[in-house]
Amino acid sequence: MEFACPDIAASAHPGQFVMLGLGLETPASWLVPRPFSISWTSPGGVVGILLRTYGEGTLALSRLEVGREALLVGPLGRSFETESRTIECVAGGVGLAPFIFLASREASRGRRLQLLYGERDAEAVFDPALIRRLTGHEPKLFTEDGGAGTRGRVTAGLDPESSALVLACGPTPMLQAVAAFARRHGRDLQLSVEEHMGCGTGACQGCVVRGADGRWLKACVEGSVFDARELDLGG
Amino acid sequence: MAAASPAMHQRVFGADFQSPVLLASGTCGYGQEFAGLIPLDELGGLVTKAVSVEPRGGNSPHRIAETPGGMINAIGLENPGLKAFVSDKLPWLRDNLRRAHVLVNVVGWAVDDYAAVVRGLDGKDGFLGFEINVSCPNVKDGALFGTEMRELARLVTALRASTDRPLVVKLTPTVPDVGVAARVCEEAGADGVSAINTFPGMVVDIARRVPVLGNVSGGVSGPAILPMGVHATWRASRSCRLPVMGIGGIRTASEALQYILAGACLVQIGTASFVDPAAAISVQEGIAEHLAANGEDRLEQLVGTLRAAPEGVDPDSTVAG
Repeated sequence: MEFACPDIAASAHPGQFVMLGLGLETPASWLVPRPFSISWTSPGGVVGILLRTYGEGTLALSRLEVGREALLVGPLGRSFETESRTIECVAGGVGLAPFIFLASREASRGRRLQLLYGERDAEAVFDPALIRRLTGHEPKLFTEDGGAGTRGRVTAGLDPESSALVLACGPTPMLQAVAAFARRHGRDLQLSVEEHMGCGTGACQGCVVRGADGRWLKACVEGSVFDARELDLGG
Repeated sequence: MAAASPAMHQRVFGADFQSPVLLASGTCGYGQEFAGLIPLDELGGLVTKAVSVEPRGGNSPHRIAETPGGMINAIGLENPGLKAFVSDKLPWLRDNLRRAHVLVNVVGWAVDDYAAVVRGLDGKDGFLGFEINVSCPNVKDGALFGTEMRELARLVTALRASTDRPLVVKLTPTVPDVGVAARVCEEAGADGVSAINTFPGMVVDIARRVPVLGNVSGGVSGPAILPMGVHATWRASRSCRLPVMGIGGIRTASEALQYILAGACLVQIGTASFVDPAAAISVQEGIAEHLAANGEDRLEQLVGTLRAAPEGVDPDSTVAG
């Protein structure tokens, strides 16, 4: 989905997110706005997000008519810090969203990254042709049931010989597996985490994740991208 | 600008409120988290996130979840504690809010905890008064301060002795009659009451067969509790002479006006600020427009002017059905 919001488009960095809802017009049945990673921006001031429908709110957002006003607050949170390094991205499901933005940015600078993308089954896969068009990159696709791409988990695609910076976004078990890989192979790893959010700005303290020192860290303002060493992922 | 409308000004807690609209505790951090989003100083004020004597880490996630008509939260009163609040949070409030008033929300698990926070802040600049959260379990017996009338009176009496600043008690809804609790607060020396705090609730993840919230239960807020908040405000305002701050589910000016007619002189916006950070601003603009459209030159003339119930209906009845 695309929204015209030039201020956000002009200042967004890959890994950052927006809180999206319909403002005070939002029906009471799905009141609270949702965080979405920014997936693309255009020089014309468009902000694009990757939407997967889960419940009433995401369904209603997916059915918004062209021209309808929505409320986006952003860009929020910390972005990936890639410093011109070689990058290997691990995306699980809708965790693909921030990497579309990152990959297209890298492509526009003449750089390539490795984009590993996993889904449970073929039905869930975001159209690879669309991903190619948005990012200028060919995703390396994995599905757990083998219905599309390589059969297996996306983490199997990680290159143990590489020294690239690893970036990951997806379900917690996947993040745990990537973190274990990074520890084993001495690789730097940044994670984009997900948690239920209220405000997105640090005010409500609703979206915490466990820090390595035991403290709770706010995913919205201290993340949503963390260096893996900052987190206690459990598992 | 609506906030500058002279009709909106009221004198409450010995201070001039330029607008009846405040941001509710727990939804606006300590002000700074919201400062980039809306012109905070145009509001009536804000109530800070809770402050306890010692720092508190808060609950395990999930801390919030969606519910029909609102949300549920169990943050766990995470806060940096009194000392860090004084050094890190209060100076910003003092330096940045000149017209909007600040109430500091105070929590504790024993009367002495609350009193230590109140005494520790009493001589400091940067805030007007206190809002006391009595929806905390008492370490003595686990009951909420706000549900045991003797404990509530003991707490408010002790805090009254600790400060001359405005002392507002945020009432808990889990009592047979909010009006009785409001009267207890009045008799113990409080300057006002906030009606009402969140309602206890829980949400179940049926696939994993676990509560969605890390804390199992939490407080329900949002439009779902609007009529309960209006009722609590009505009961409180009929039962005591204290100023009442109405809170619960307000998204629009007309909803805020329900509270005002039911007896609230000030209202607080909570969950709606998540839905639209500018909700409080649009509510106060809408109230000013309502006053202008109805030829009302003072907001305070509307407060508590709900017309009497029809003959044969006991206005104090709480019986449903």
